[in-house]
Amino acid sequence: MRNQYKTYPLIITNIESQNALVKVFTLMPEDRKNIKCATDEKKIIKCWVPGQFISISIPGFGEAPFAICSSPNPCNEFQICVQKKGGLTSKFFSMSVGDEIDFRGPYGNGFPISKLSKRNLLLIAGGLGLAPLRPLIQIIANHAAEFGKVQLFGGSREEKMMLFKNEYGAWRKNIELNLTLDIPNENWNGSTGLVTALFDKIPISKNAIAIICGPPVMFPAVIKKIKKKGMAEKNIYLLLERRMHCGVGICQHCVLVNGKYVCKDGPVFNYAELKDSPGAI
Amino acid sequence: MTNSDLKLFVEFLLNKNYTIHSPVRKNGKIVIREITDSRKFSLIKERPLYSFKNFLLPDKKTLFSTTSDENKNGNDQKLIRKQVLFGITVFDLRAVSLLSQIFEKDPYFQDIISMTLFIGQSPIPEENSFYEKYEENILEHFKFDIFIESRGDQKDFRIFTGSKHGQKMLNEFGYDDFEHIEYAGAVPEEGLSDFHKKLKEKTKLSYGSKIWKDLGKKCLGCDKCTIVCPTCFCFKIYDENNIFNDSIARVRQWDSCFNSEFSEIAGGTKFLKTMEDRIYNWYSHKFVRIPDEYNLPGCVGCGRCADVCPAGINIKDEIFKIMKFKAKKPIAKMSKFKSKTLKKPRTKKLIYEKPI
Ligand code: SF4
Ligand code: SF4
Ligand code: FES
Repeated sequence: MRNQYKTYPLIITNIESQNALVKVFTLMPEDRKNIKCATDEKKIIKCWVPGQFISISIPGFGEAPFAICSSPNPCNEFQICVQKKGGLTSKFFSMSVGDEIDFRGPYGNGFPISKLSKRNLLLIAGGLGLAPLRPLIQIIANHAAEFGKVQLFGGSREEKMMLFKNEYGAWRKNIELNLTLDIPNENWNGSTGLVTALFDKIPISKNAIAIICGPPVMFPAVIKKIKKKGMAEKNIYLLLERRMHCGVGICQHCVLVNGKYVCKDGPVFNYAELKDSPGAI
Repeated sequence: MTNSDLKLFVEFLLNKNYTIHSPVRKNGKIVIREITDSRKFSLIKERPLYSFKNFLLPDKKTLFSTTSDENKNGNDQKLIRKQVLFGITVFDLRAVSLLSQIFEKDPYFQDIISMTLFIGQSPIPEENSFYEKYEENILEHFKFDIFIESRGDQKDFRIFTGSKHGQKMLNEFGYDDFEHIEYAGAVPEEGLSDFHKKLKEKTKLSYGSKIWKDLGKKCLGCDKCTIVCPTCFCFKIYDENNIFNDSIARVRQWDSCFNSEFSEIAGGTKFLKTMEDRIYNWYSHKFVRIPDEYNLPGCVGCGRCADVCPAGINIKDEIFKIMKFKAKKPIAKMSKFKSKTLKKPRTKKLIYEKPI
């Protein structure tokens, strides 16, 4: 019987510091076969779907789920974005290129890629929420003709907390980037305030599909705002974060009131699925 | 089979190197203990406060460890011993059926199950137990090897077998006066009973109602109910460092959804915030999620949770309240009807309620 908790080795092949608290790790499985493959109909994506997560472990420090933050092409390696918060992530920060860690997964359902084709997109990210959106952004950047108009609304606390800054130039070619900072510094010439405030200044495209990733506190305000701007509820998708232990729908840590498991049925949900589930957002 | 035959059978199993766990009376309480002396054995018919759960799903289990290579990839077969759960009641057999479904793909659980001989018995009704009427035909949905049936104070027990293994054991022991019951799968053909279907709908419907507000105020979140419950299986996985032999183990340990950090994520946000959230989550797991996912009731009605609850919460009474729950008419929504449909008053059909 296959052991669903068995982990497989990964080699750290690159570490890139985003800021004092966030680093991007590039990880390569020792054996490619150990990544379970998920393929969408259009074959744009192999190996994993943007929005899926992976369970990473360091022996002695336990396991934790991380969103995969790199596009699945190529799929012999992937990246995760780690924010220093607890024991496992602190240990992560002390590791170097060449060190070995473990993984299992990927798990969950990613963004509904087939539903996104030819559509206008509204990507909304708060803080670290930009990480799970990045693989989608990279796919859009390489397959612009497959999508309609794409807008990204991103909010960070301070400029030094902004993620993937050196990629914005490339993204802008195909994506309208609207960024805001809670606490701007003197060099900042973008918007200030919360991401919700951006919607009062910048019109959103008609008939778009919205994907929201960010801290739990952000969801209600953003949803209220975009609904006011004409966004249909059925076109809103959210990526939820929950405590996870098993990753396969058994341990109960990630369950929502409506009986859905964030690990197995999510982490990406359509807003309609969550409306009957108080506390989900 | 008589009580003295049972003693001989215990002796027979001990000689076969089985570890036998069975209910015994200790300081007035019924507890499960290892039986090492067949002469002292007698079949206790009351259900023990703690179920057999931890003999199948140990409260703490090492998944991997760095101490030995073979252990790195899963179960260490050598560490699992042949065991007998002797005198497991129908409540607990029902719980085992459910756990076997939930942990169907779990090698740790399945390895233990494969080394376990289940000897069931019909229970005598307890004060707090409910909705389990013992009838012969429920046995076909339980995985057991041997079943001892006694009615009233009858001295000669009827014996059933539920597996080839059980038959083989009895034959070797030299007993052949048994009937065989063919296993018909955990889920009865008709699926959930009407009672459980209704309980499921009512539990969903009653979310946020006074039932849960009251329970939220009463419950202390002590987690005792989840420990004694034979169907509670939530767990956490974490790493344990042993500084004495410099080893690291990934362990799986029982967790309780009543623990305040159960739903907490890095950064401190909790999603089961209040006691009301937690107790609703507990009940809805048993009455809604498990029935939805496995087509089986999530509560076997043993009444153990009521026995241990320091706040005096009795699940039987709560089920009664939930079943009686009626949603208030959504008056607010009435105004949304177009006046057109309201203009012509419909002729009222008289419905006579059937006398109960
Ligand atoms: S919820 Fe209570 S009555 Fe139901 S199986 Fe668990 S302990 Fe027994
Ligand atoms: S035993 Fe009673 S008080 Fe304790 S957590 Fe369970 S319901 Fe609440
Ligand atoms: S992480 Fe265990 S059920 Fe979702």
